[in-house]
Amino acid sequence: MTNYIIRRLLMVPLLLIGVTLIIFGMLQFLGPVERSALYMKDFPKNDKQVEGIIRQYGLDQPFLVQYWKWLTGVKDPVTGEMEGGVLRGQFGYSRTASQPVVDIIRNRFPNTLDLALWTVFPMLSVGIWMGVKAAVNQNKAFDQAARIYSIIGTSFPTFVFGLLLLMFFYAKLKWFLPGRMSDWVNQLIYSGNFKSYTHLLTIDALLNGRFDVFWDALRHLIMPIMTLSYINWATYVRVTRSSMLETLRMDYVTTARAKGLLERDVVNKHARPNAMLPIVTMMGSSIVGLLGGVVITETVFNYPGIGKAAADAAAQLDVVTVLGMGIFTGLILIVSNLIVDVMYAFIDPRVRLN
Amino acid sequence: MPHDLLNVQNLETRFKTPEGTVHAVNGVSFKLNEGETLGVVGESGCGKSVTMLSLLKLIPQPPGEIVAGKALFKGDDLIAMSPEEMRHVRGGQIAMVFQDPMTSLNPVMTIGKQMEEPLKLHLGFTPAQARTRSIELLEQVGIPRAGERLKDYPHQYSGGMRQRVMIAMALACAPQILIADEPTTALDVTIQAQIVDLVIRLREELGMAIVWITHDLGVVASIAQRVAVMYGGFIIEEAPVKELFRNPRHPYTIGLIGSLPQIEQEGRKRLFSIDGMPPMLYQKPRSCPFSPRCHWVKERCRVENPLLEDIGNEHRVACWVDTSTGSERA
Repeated sequence: MTNYIIRRLLMVPLLLIGVTLIIFGMLQFLGPVERSALYMKDFPKNDKQVEGIIRQYGLDQPFLVQYWKWLTGVKDPVTGEMEGGVLRGQFGYSRTASQPVVDIIRNRFPNTLDLALWTVFPMLSVGIWMGVKAAVNQNKAFDQAARIYSIIGTSFPTFVFGLLLLMFFYAKLKWFLPGRMSDWVNQLIYSGNFKSYTHLLTIDALLNGRFDVFWDALRHLIMPIMTLSYINWATYVRVTRSSMLETLRMDYVTTARAKGLLERDVVNKHARPNAMLPIVTMMGSSIVGLLGGVVITETVFNYPGIGKAAADAAAQLDVVTVLGMGIFTGLILIVSNLIVDVMYAFIDPRVRLN
Repeated sequence: MPHDLLNVQNLETRFKTPEGTVHAVNGVSFKLNEGETLGVVGESGCGKSVTMLSLLKLIPQPPGEIVAGKALFKGDDLIAMSPEEMRHVRGGQIAMVFQDPMTSLNPVMTIGKQMEEPLKLHLGFTPAQARTRSIELLEQVGIPRAGERLKDYPHQYSGGMRQRVMIAMALACAPQILIADEPTTALDVTIQAQIVDLVIRLREELGMAIVWITHDLGVVASIAQRVAVMYGGFIIEEAPVKELFRNPRHPYTIGLIGSLPQIEQEGRKRLFSIDGMPPMLYQKPRSCPFSPRCHWVKERCRVENPLLEDIGNEHRVACWVDTSTGSERA
């Protein structure tokens, strides 16, 4: 088991090198002229000015030279400050957001994490429960309903669903709100009477004993949670159902029944643990999806998460920020794959003991 | 008068498939006495496994459906039992061993846990008692270092060892009937012999009745006292094992026994084989299901299905033709 984890950990640096190469390489498809726009304060007067900037920032240098500079950092020719340097843990300075990329991540990621934490439990528990129940009651009413739902859920666009929620729960009922927090909470946080232990607003509110703040945070979270759960459930129902149906046909399930076990135990103790393997794989990509930023959901509900930040940067051709966010998402991907691998070993002795 | 341990009457099982209804079992009747071993032989798809799975209601329903028949186990009808009553019979009084030991054990559960389940369930053992008994059972079926091996998972056992585990698990609650559904088919020949010997030894020690499903006539000869031959969802011949091998009467049985290689046989002769294919059972056969492949076939065989008929020496056969003379039975 320890060997298994160590082997996986040794792979991490290699994966990281691969991730940086791919992301950097892809952004090189933007030509030097396009990338130079980032460094221009005003509309350029002539071609000479553009060429000057390209030369100044080395945007036309060979790929590997630029890649190396990005990895190790480079002195900004104007301010004279060291900028970037992925190897130094710096992702450069975002000119569109007027702050270092690391700071954007530091400010925005807790919001995304907060949302992900509150989404992951309803998403997994309800999704898996529905899938198992549908499989056990194959072709009966619940199964038919779950299958119809699963088709609608996967094909119904997130932004339409999100807008419907906004229209109903915000515009009409005023129960739930878009954004991250109400103004009074924002003022409270800046007043210094509210300690930020984790930067996750819901958790901090509980740690401060401020249930009014917690409730306010939740009111802002519920609509994105509903949206994310709604689309993810559809996928979980589909995968869990088919995996469960396959498992229920296995010989060892017949063996369990032939031993006289309660049908409940046949399903929960014998079939379900075996049916979980593909779901664990899917959980990995769900976690990446939730933590890497859910761009559309965050945009619809004006939720200041990392996905919205990345989308804003990309819309303004902020190559530096997009690169930083890309690497960060890559890191999340690698970590969550590691978690999935470990979970695999945990539930499947054939992985653990070989 | 003591009744039979198991008395199956007119059992009929069908499966609804997209291609049509498959009439897998078409009115099977047989008896099993206490401590007796019945061999059930027939080619793949003849309904032997489905018959036995139907008894314990282990066929998936739907698409499967038991449409008629009774199965009296010590006087109680298994077919009419509620799921809850059936649960107490399964594993407790009638146990099953399946064909493929590689897939019939749960891969993510330790052998110990799987062994202990029926003990706790049917006999109310505490975890400690169940563990002790599991070790005894594993030792009884010849698993060395049983105490340590309880913690292992199925993939750490070989195929033969897994089948031993399956047998130990089936016999955990001292059932009166053990149904073995082709338990040696997926194993190497040497392992097959070991498993057969093991079951014979356990039968002597525990005295349970056995239904041994197989398509291996050699195994039947060594383990069974009585043999039922199935074809097309019917039992077409039934006799004590020696009588059947010495005096097979149904054309299908004659063909089966004739297609066995003989060690004493002189020279190189091609093995006999039965022409044609087993029937597709999309309709319940009205005529003899074997008639399209039969050398003795008469006009009557194509219009009317013969019933099992006693011909003496505890020998029953379902055929319109007396194959010893070649003429139609009166």
